Order: sequence, then C-alpha cells, then structure tokens
Amino acid sequence: MEASKSVLVIGGGIAGMQASLDLASRGLKVYLAEKTPSIGGRMAQLDKTFPTMDCSICILAPKMIECFRHPNITLLTYSEVQEVSGSAGNFTVKILKKPRFINEEKCTGCGVCAQHCPVEVPNEFDMGIGVRKAIYVPFPQAVPLKYTVDEENCLKCRLCQRMCQAEAVDLNQKPEVVHLNVGAVVVATGFELFDVQRRSEYGYGKYQNVLISLEFERLLSASGPTGGHLLRLSDGRIPKRIAFIQCVGSRSLKGGVSFCSSACCMYATKEAILIREHEPECEVYIFYNELKVFGKGFQDFVTRAQNDWGVKYVRALPGEVLEDSKTGDLTLWYEDTRENVTKSIKADIVVLCPALVPRAANKEVGVILGLELDEHGFFKPKDSLFAPVDTNVLGVFICGYCQSPKDIPESVAQASAAAARAAEVIALSPSKEVH
Amino acid sequence: MFICHCGINIGGIVNVPEVVKYAMTLPNVVYSEGNLYTCSSEGLSKIKEGIGKYNLNRVIVASCTPRTHEPLFRATCEEAGVNKYLFEMANIREHCSWAHMHEPDKATEKAKDIVRMAVAKARLLKPQEEPEIDVAPSALVIGGGISGMTAALCLADQGFKVYLVEKEPELGGMLRHLHKLYPTMVDASEGLNKIVEAVKPNKNIEVWKSTVVKQVKGFIGNFDVSFQRENGETANFRVGTIIVATGADVFEPVGMYGYEKYDNVITQFKLEQLLKGGQLEKPERVVMIQCTGAREEKGRTYCSRICCMTALKNALLVKESYPETDVYILFRDLQTYGKEYEEWHRMAQDRGVKFIKYALEKPPEVVAGNNGKLTVDVYHALLNEQVQIESDLVVLSTPLVQHEDAKELSQILKVPLGPDGFFFEAHVKLRPIDFATDGIYVCGTAHSPKDTAESVSQALGVASRAAIPMAVKRLRTEAITATVDEILCSGCGTCVTICPYGAIEKDEKGVARVTAVVCKGCGTCGASCPEKAISMRHFTDEQVVAQALAALGRAVA
Amino acid sequence: MTFEPRIVGFLCNWCSYAGADLAGVSRISYPTNIRIIRLMCSGRVDPVFVLETLANGADGVMVMGCHPGDCHYVEGNLQTERKIKMLKKLIARTGLEPERVRLEWVSASEGGRFAELVKEFTNQIKALGPSPLVGEKPDPNILEDLLAAKATAGDFRLRVLVGKEKGMIDDGNVYGEEVSQEEFDKTMDEAIDAEYVRNKIYLMVRKEPLSVKELSKRLDLDPQAVLRHMVVMRRRGMVTVDRIEGTTPLYAALEVGR
Repeated sequence: MEASKSVLVIGGGIAGMQASLDLASRGLKVYLAEKTPSIGGRMAQLDKTFPTMDCSICILAPKMIECFRHPNITLLTYSEVQEVSGSAGNFTVKILKKPRFINEEKCTGCGVCAQHCPVEVPNEFDMGIGVRKAIYVPFPQAVPLKYTVDEENCLKCRLCQRMCQAEAVDLNQKPEVVHLNVGAVVVATGFELFDVQRRSEYGYGKYQNVLISLEFERLLSASGPTGGHLLRLSDGRIPKRIAFIQCVGSRSLKGGVSFCSSACCMYATKEAILIREHEPECEVYIFYNELKVFGKGFQDFVTRAQNDWGVKYVRALPGEVLEDSKTGDLTLWYEDTRENVTKSIKADIVVLCPALVPRAANKEVGVILGLELDEHGFFKPKDSLFAPVDTNVLGVFICGYCQSPKDIPESVAQASAAAARAAEVIALSPSKEVH
Repeated sequence: MFICHCGINIGGIVNVPEVVKYAMTLPNVVYSEGNLYTCSSEGLSKIKEGIGKYNLNRVIVASCTPRTHEPLFRATCEEAGVNKYLFEMANIREHCSWAHMHEPDKATEKAKDIVRMAVAKARLLKPQEEPEIDVAPSALVIGGGISGMTAALCLADQGFKVYLVEKEPELGGMLRHLHKLYPTMVDASEGLNKIVEAVKPNKNIEVWKSTVVKQVKGFIGNFDVSFQRENGETANFRVGTIIVATGADVFEPVGMYGYEKYDNVITQFKLEQLLKGGQLEKPERVVMIQCTGAREEKGRTYCSRICCMTALKNALLVKESYPETDVYILFRDLQTYGKEYEEWHRMAQDRGVKFIKYALEKPPEVVAGNNGKLTVDVYHALLNEQVQIESDLVVLSTPLVQHEDAKELSQILKVPLGPDGFFFEAHVKLRPIDFATDGIYVCGTAHSPKDTAESVSQALGVASRAAIPMAVKRLRTEAITATVDEILCSGCGTCVTICPYGAIEKDEKGVARVTAVVCKGCGTCGASCPEKAISMRHFTDEQVVAQALAALGRAVA
Repeated sequence: MTFEPRIVGFLCNWCSYAGADLAGVSRISYPTNIRIIRLMCSGRVDPVFVLETLANGADGVMVMGCHPGDCHYVEGNLQTERKIKMLKKLIARTGLEPERVRLEWVSASEGGRFAELVKEFTNQIKALGPSPLVGEKPDPNILEDLLAAKATAGDFRLRVLVGKEKGMIDDGNVYGEEVSQEEFDKTMDEAIDAEYVRNKIYLMVRKEPLSVKELSKRLDLDPQAVLRHMVVMRRRGMVTVDRIEGTTPLYAALEVGR
C-alpha cells in the first residue's frame, strides 16, 4: 500500500473510533493506537447517555466490533506512540506495543485464567470502586477480547499459564516496536477528570459517601460493582437523598480551570433521572450555578427531569460538605440565591461533577507531533472558526474533547470532520512509495 | 456440525461428545465433530477440511454467541466454497454452559435442543447474494451558506463533483448579514469572502444560485434530482449523495416585549446588522433580553445556543464604540459553554456590562416610558427585587427557527423534521449528521442552532460521511432483506408506512417493491404484511417456525 | 415428576439477545427451560409464530426487544408492542391463558434483568401448570380455539389494523383527522371478536355442516349474531350452504385457497 494512503489515529474512544471507521470505510488504511488494553474510551464506562437515555455500551459495542472486524483497521491496543517525523503525506511513526504477556493470536478470551488468578486489585474501569484480577480484560465487552497481565500486580504464580488450554500465556513477552508510514494523523485523546481533592471543602477522599460522577455512574451501571443496585458504599444502605454539586473545578478562577466542561449539567440530569428510576423514594438535588442547556434536546431533558421525575434544581453552589462520622451522612451548606438565606441540607450521598480536563499526557503527544497546546492543555485548532480540526502541523488533525469541551454527538461529528480533512490532505499529497 | 469445547467453558459443563453423537442422529447431519477451540486457526482449518471431505453444503458451529464470531466463521465457509448464508450458529456457551453452570445434565440436554434448532433452520437456509449498486461520484449540496460551501469545498478537493444549490441570488447564507464572529472577532464578510472566492474557481463545484430542488427520486448512489431556477429554467442530474445545509431563520418576536409596537425594540439580529453597517446611533442605555421566544414552556421549548454569546459579543462592541453607554443583559441561564466562552462573561463584566438574572415564571415587561424611551420592568431573581430600567434601545435575543419551506424539502427528500422543527438525524448520539435514509446527510443550523465553528465541524463531517459511498464506488449490502411477492401484494401500503428507512415504495402497478440496498432487514414489514406477501431472506417464516417446533421436539411437517 | 415448562423465547439480535449473552458472560444462573430463537428485531415476531408455538405445546412464550426508543431499527419494537397487545386480546378469547405469553424489554447491558425475567416467568408457568396442548392428547377444544386464533392473526383484517395503528394514532387518518387510542381500540376489539368467531365457525363447519342454531349453541352466541357472521363469510367465499334440512340451512366450509 502506498505510504500516503494510511492514517494513524491516536485514541480509541468514540471520536477515534468514528474517525477510524470513516477513513476505513472509504478505503484508506487505519492504524488505531490506544494506550489501554481495549478501545471504547469513556463511553464504555457510562450507563446511559443523555438526552436519549440510550444504554451506552449497547450503542457503542457494535462500533467497537466494527473497528475490530474492519479489514482496513489495525488495532494497536495497549500501545503508545513514541515518535513521529516527516510531513503530510509521509509521516514515519514509531509505536511501542506494551507486553500483555498474552499471545493475542492464541487467546480466545475465554476467561479461565482470570477465574483462577489469586490477585485482586481495584479496577480502573470502575474508577477504583470495583475489583479486577491481575490478569484481566477491562470490561466484558472489551475489544479486542484478549486478556492482559498487569505486570505490576502479577505474582508470577503462573496459575493462569497452567489453566490456559490455548497456551496463550507468555510471561516472557517483550515490548514490541511497530514502525509505520502514514499520510495523516488524527489525535483524539479525550479527557481526564479534575482532581477534586483540590477542592478539599467537599471532602472527597475523606468522606466515604462523597463520590465523583464517574464513580457514581459505575454504581448505577448494571455491569458495575453493585450490579446497578443503588447503595451507599459506606454501609450498603439505600440512599434517600442524593445531592449533585456542579462545576467542581470548572468555571473557576482559583483552584480549577476557567472553562465550562459543557456536559456536566446534562449528565448530572441523566444520573438524577437514573436515580429516580432505580429508587423512586430517593430525593435528588442538583446544585448548580448556570444551567447549560444549549444542545439539541437538552432543555426538554431538564424539563422532563423536573416535571416528570421530580428532580430538584437549586441555584447555589455549596460552600462546604460536612460529614457525621458516626453515620457517614453528609450535610451541605449553601447560599440560596433565590431566597437569599444560608441553608443546609442533609444527604446520604454527594456526587461531585468535576471539571473534565484535557489529559496531562497531551503535552507529550504535543511534543511528539509538534502540536501547540493552549493554556488548559487542549490542542490548538489552526483557526477556531474556519479550520477547527486542523492544527499548526499540516496533516495532523484533532477531534473530540481534546480539541475543546463537547459531548458525544459533537465528538462524533468532529471525528468525521477530522477524517474528511485527513482524506483531503492525502488526496492532495503526492503519493510516496514504501521502501 | 462443529461443536466447540471452548477450553472448559463449554466442555466443562456440557457433555460435548454426547452432543456430537446426538447431532449425527439429526436429519441431514452427515458429519459431526468436537473442537477444543473452533475459532482458533486449527478449528477453522478443520471446518474447511470437513466441508471438502464430506461435501457439506450447510455448516453449523455450536459454540459462543454469533454476535462476535459469526463473521469469522462465515468468511471461513466462503473460503471453502460454501455461501456464507448457508452457515448457522448454535449458542451453547452464553445461553447454555455459562448460564447453567450448576446443572450440567440439564445444560447438556439444552445444548442438544439448541443444536437441533440450528439444524432445523440450517436445512431451510438458502444461499444469498449481496446486492451491489454503483454509486455516482457526485453530491448535491442544498444550501450555499458557510456549511454548504465548506462541505462542497471539502468534497471537491477529494475529487468529487458537487452541485451546490442556493435559493438566494448570492452565496453566503446567514454570514452575509453578520458583523463579527466570536470568539476570534473576525469580520464575517472577510471570513465568508475567502470561502466564496475558493468556491468560485473550483472546477468540481457547479454553483446554481436562485435555484431550488423540486424533486428527488431514487436511492443512495442513484438519486435523480430536478432543480428549478427562479426564471423557470429546469435541470436534472444524477447524484450519489445529498447534503442538507439549508440553515435557519431568525425568529421574529411579534407581540413580545413591544416588538413592532415600539420603534426602539429590535431583535439581536437587527442590532448585528446595524453594527455591521455602522448605523447604530449612540444609545444611552441598552437592555438586551435573552430567551425571547425560546426555552418556553410550550412551543419553542429549546435553547438556541448562540444567543448568549451573540449578546455578549454585541454588548462588548457597543461598549467599544460608546464607552459611556450602559448595557444590561437580562438572562435566565448564561450559555457560555466550552473552552473560551466563560471568559467572555468575565470580560463583559469587567467592561461594565450589567447582568440581571430573571426567571421563566417572572419575565420582564417592556412599557412606554417618558420622552419616547422605554421602561423595562424586571424581577431580579438574585436580589429578589423588582428593578426598573429606563432604556432607549431594547434588544431581543430570539432563537433560530426552521425555515418555512423546510417542510416541503423534508417531503421531497423523505427525511423527517424533529420536534423542534429542525431536521432529525438517524441517531442523536452516534449518527448526528446522517439521516436514517442512506446517502442523505445534514449539517449546520439546519440540524440545530449552532455557531460558525460548530457548523464548519459538522460540514466537514458530512463531507466525510458522503465521501464514503462515493469513494468505494460500489456498495454491497447484507442479504438479509425483505422481498415482496407481487402476486400476493394487494397494495394496501402498510409496509410503506411501517418501514423506518423508506425502503419500500409502491411501483407503477401499485404493488410494493423493496429497494434491497436500503432495506436493513429488521423484518417488521414481513411480520405486518396483511397478505403475507413479504418474506424475509435468511429469517423466513418457515425457518423461524421450524426453530420453534424443533425447540419443542417437534419436526416440521 | 416435577413439571418442567417448555419455554420458547423470540429475542432481538441487538438488545435482548445480547442481554442474554451478558447474563451468560456474567455467569448469572437462571432456569434451563428457555430455548431462544434469534431474530434481527422483535418487530419480526409475527403473532402467528407465537400461536403456532403455543399450538405445538409450548408452555410459555417470551418475546423480548429493545426498550422503546432504543430499537436498532428505530421503531420495530413499537410495532411489536402493538402486535403482542392484539395477540393477547386474541388469546384471551381462547381457552388458553394469555399469561403464557410475555413481552419484555431487555437492553444489551441488562444481563441480570434477563435472568430475573426468565426465572420469574418460568416460575409463573410452573404455577400455571402445563399447557393443555402438551403431550399425546392435547385438549381438542382449546386446540381448535388456538387454530382459529392462528387463522385470525393471519387474516388480512387484523393485520392491516395492527399495521396501520401506530401511523393512524400518531399522524391521523387519511383525512387528517385525529384518531384516539380509545377509538382505535374499540375498532380493534370488535374486529378481533368478529374475526375470531368467524374462524371458529369455519373450523367447525369444516368438520361437519352445521346450522346457525347449532353453531350458536356451541359458541354460546346469539343466533342473530351468528347469522350476521355467516352472511359475511358467505360473501367472502369461506362457507356455502351444503344442504337444507326442513327449513334449516346447513353450512359447510369452502377451501379458502390462493
């Protein structure tokens, strides 16, 4: 295949997957690099998506399988991009495939190894509130469905090796370096969560029943650590009142970031509705400052949450959260701006909606590709209005949250945009032969 | 018949050898073997070997769920010369061994039943061909604004022919009327002209101004489109794909806040045009009212996304030209989302723009004041007091709304409008710029209110989506489609309405006809047809009933 | 020996079948009684399939699809809902318990829910007891009822009503008038009653020619009503007068063929 007719996509979340599928479907070769063992990204961690209340993994899994099955897509999971040189039409890429200690050709994903592994560690996919084994797949619908050995926690007892009838365990596996030639690069590295412990007034890390939204989402998920049963982690009780605090770290001049994460008002509304569905007796309060209802269907979603589901929106951002150490119950103190009084309210669980921030690793990616980042860590578009997915490097494009805060539909549309531009650049570049 | 142990996943609970033996007692089963891992390269070789040696013309693999490995096994069959639709799977892992780990005997019996059901279906399977159609490498873009032109340029650069149809005499759409674009504050005309100048000389783009689309027939790859110019001139073209980029209108708030009653109550759009033309005379005190005719309890319940930023932008421009002028913005929730827009709120506050929050339940009132001025009466929701502001210019921020003629276009294209009046996409989350009808896409404010940056992203997005079928030139679709027996069909039209993809139409004889490439094979038409004239390939009535009877241990008569 | 129900499940590929897969992946146990048939969409389920399955001795039938709004094919499940509603009304007129048919929405991530539903339904059927149509000697009356129901569900009139139901209620009729669900239900109920009785009559006079008086006795219906049905059936070519005994015509079935 000519060097120029292939594209490297960095990041296997919904944006990376969409860009890959668009490019592959039109006949270009795609290398999709993802640093975790499975593609899927954040969407795989969600229970439902707003405002449609679709089951997230249900709509995501077919796309993941398509990426896996597509003859034009090569998945490079558990891999990281180390070097990129060259220019549009002819980039030389060096990728490091981290050792899974599993022979991917032989592993059938049957799971017998994990059943017998004696080591249990907190599960990253469940944001640490669930557990996995030292030999694991991140979640049941992982693609590729191949196991991975977590080197750090593995005891090297070799029980997995003995149980595996396909002889797929290879504890001597070494990291592999993959060299590629591509015509264009699409960056879709997504986001991570603001460290809410920086907002110590909310007690995250101190109080067991203060959770961050993505942890709470895992609690609500049927595939999560409690099987979707809404229970308090401290005592297993069913909560009777849950409070959400918006903008923890967002829209803040001190101790946070200045921008708006654009999805939190809506996902809090979604989680609130899920709570009311799971536990009709549980009250839900959402403490907010400015309700961001700008997207298609957003305002109707909030109206439904209020009128049909009885979710209570309070325009106030609590000053602090206190805990009754005997019961684990929480008290929030806030200034009710409508009535102009300071109030307190008790809650069984407090969910913090943290700022969604560009990954710290973007800096490294920026260095490798020569990309400019803004002060927040987002990749800078060449022109925010007329060239939103182009960057300062011709042939390298950005899409999804790493370009700017956005939700799933916007990420999907922008991923297609990056694919279009990548295809355009390839079409316009003189083609080069591979040596 | 290939029955998988899947290591111990199946073999540890289900007595696979017993099932292998049982399978040989079933009608038409000439060969049956067990595999350790049928999906391994070894297993796949055994399938090919078995096909060759025993002259198999139907293949069943009893193992895990078809949802993962069916394509792999189908491909293996094809390689050995067996049509992939003559392959069937029996799920004896997820639906059997794994769910009944403590009842191995019952699980084994169940596995036998499942295998028997697969055989019952497999016996009735027929080979299928996947229909292929040519795709014309040309696109129709309806709408010559920033979205339409961006999509057109991107497609043209990829080598496709584009027909760009614009109903106005000029290209440019909404941007022609705008002054400055946030957040870069670039002059709208400047930005727009660059793009218009790129479109003009582009050899792949054929621009049709003062033209509307009159009729569209056909399906993806083969749309026959008729245009009509203002002067009556008509033309017909065949295109492979269609992009809707028709933009939106600005709502005129007749009867609200004194609009059209008082001269000095104008829309934000009008203010934009005044600023653009340098025609704004120095106002003493401007009051902007957000959410005018938007986020209502009934009717236009949606938020129009861009009005808060537009108000901030224009407030800052007014302050720049007239620093002594007071500017108030009356808002409900400030939609300063995203990476940069929060800064604008701060900036505006720093420059002295005053913000007053009001609630939906207590909207402001605009009444005539003294000396030709107006009095804006608003309940300040944070200070909890009634505030009166004397103003000589009230600016109403109104939402974008769908064009009046969109209903006609939606019927011509047979694509839906959503509850807010904007075009309705195939899937709100994962297919935001596709229509459910293959080959037709939507972008820009025709989809929903959005700003320039977002419109351009979507426009580039549809350029990718439309390029896919056009780049591969020939489309192959699954053979699981519906087919109508013309003799049985009585033309009742039930299937036509039921099909969510518009894949069925009544032909010249008044009989239903399925366009196989558009059909997705759901089977709803087949189950609903009053004359039982529709059969579903690969999921025929006979095959389904055979499986049900086999489940009950009964053979088909 | 304890009664082990035989349950057949029609599941849609994208949601419920995947939900069942997940139950297995999660190693959630449920009773072994169910046998699953995979369809692309729950909308593929023709009421005739369910009736055929029941007539052949299934103790219970489950139909599962995606939650409303989630259907992979947009609205197939909404059509399923209406079909099953009609089906249950039809079964209620036979001697078979309508509770033997169950429609549920299960998403691809609801493995636990799938297992729960199967457990619940299996227990429900255990309590209900074996279907009267099971075994060597199925109850002949109920079997006849069910065959009449099958013919009714396969007939033009009910199918066109169910097929057009959603469109009419959402978008109004061809005159642009609103059709309310209550109005529609009334029409549907009348149609179900009428067509079911007609198909029962058909099966009866297929065995032997019968008079209106005899039919009205066996069906426990007013003779005037039966006569009205006979008139319609004659017009449709379903029955004809076989002979006259005294002043009483006896009707026999005509082979309704294509």
